[in-house]
Amino acid sequence: MMNIRCFQNNFSAASFPLVPVQLPSRMETHLWYVLPNEVKSMSLLSQYSELLSPCEKEDINCIRGDDLRKRALLARALVRTTIARYQINNQVNPSSLKFRKNAHGKPEVEWQDDDNLCPVPLHFNLSHTSSMIACGVTMNVAIGIDIEEKQRQLKNNVLAFSRRYFSPYEVKILTAISDPEIQHQEFIKLWTLKEAYVKALGRGFSGLPFKTFTIRSKPATTGSFNLSEDFVSKASEIIVESSDDPENLTNEWQFALLELAGSHYAAICMEKDKTVGGEANTPMKLTVWKTIPFIEDECVSGTDAVVAIGGLIKQ
Amino acid sequence: MASVSATCLCLRASPYSSNTTTQGTRRISSTKLVSIPWKNSGFRSFRITCAAKPETVQKVCDIVRKQLALPPETELTPASKFSALGADSLDTVEIVMGLEEEFDISVEEESSENITTVQEAADLIEKLVQKKAEA
Repeated sequence: MMNIRCFQNNFSAASFPLVPVQLPSRMETHLWYVLPNEVKSMSLLSQYSELLSPCEKEDINCIRGDDLRKRALLARALVRTTIARYQINNQVNPSSLKFRKNAHGKPEVEWQDDDNLCPVPLHFNLSHTSSMIACGVTMNVAIGIDIEEKQRQLKNNVLAFSRRYFSPYEVKILTAISDPEIQHQEFIKLWTLKEAYVKALGRGFSGLPFKTFTIRSKPATTGSFNLSEDFVSKASEIIVESSDDPENLTNEWQFALLELAGSHYAAICMEKDKTVGGEANTPMKLTVWKTIPFIEDECVSGTDAVVAIGGLIKQ
Repeated sequence: MASVSATCLCLRASPYSSNTTTQGTRRISSTKLVSIPWKNSGFRSFRITCAAKPETVQKVCDIVRKQLALPPETELTPASKFSALGADSLDTVEIVMGLEEEFDISVEEESSENITTVQEAADLIEKLVQKKAEA
């Protein structure tokens, strides 16, 4: 992966193209994130503005507050530039991408329908906090991601919140944690996993009430692969169970839980690709980039910036 | 704006002003069709609901302001969208919890996707409060 550093200047987007990237393979997730605090240049922000559709610009203009507007702008710029890197159908211009919502309201790319080509099976999902914006990308399979600041404070009491929104099993697990800090951490992790799941399904929070499913970890079966240092040392799998039908393990979804940039928990939920043969418990291959679009890309997989804390992950 | 239904003709006095304490609306009971002009997007779709009381809207604003830690100078109107105020999903859920406590109601998850603005929250609250009173 190339590291490109340059001085922020009045380069137009066209004169400093995005570094192209190979599409993720099946069972692989790409994760791109940007830290808003690192983007200060007004000329860079206006370059990002130029990428947006009229509707996107309009939506951003409705937002009050410079920080919020900047965050919304960076989110759109991240999605557009990330997808443009994959150069699908030789399309390299981030500003020419069109987006729409699918039947469930989940955003997706609307590929140009030249020659009635089949829609490209690239999937993406976006999440942001006040200090990070992340975009996950997969091929052929659905993806949902959610990030939260580790230190994020709740207005409500953790257990009250959990009793209201989480499944009985999850409440039991959280209640059993006596250290309030650890309880808070585990709550945030569980929240991101549940959010990532409903976002992967494309139904969002109201489409699939959190109480109706349980996410928990279970020791991984060794199956046909050998555990090596690539994998999480505890080698526990994260699984989801439907509350209505707990015997029927929903084995279609794979989870990864990470600590990102030391400041965030990130959960990734990816659909398992049934066409891939072999043991169902194949780890998720993950590649992570920290980026400032047009300025700098840094592959941070395997560094301190990406710490796997749950699920079977191979970086 | 005027709108016509089979049973009644109703008028809304003025669009919402930015000061939530001086609502130009009149409370009209039972069924009516309402047509509300929203900035930038023409008319909102018709809904058969009562407009929420100004006090309800104000309480919602207070809860939202507190949850999102909005600075006092941030303008908050009934049309304010939570997402535009920087609320993520966890914020929205906490806002709903705060509203449930404040108004002693229970919001079904399926309804929560309809709560994207202050006005929608206030309208839903009044509906639930009324339903509870009738039960």
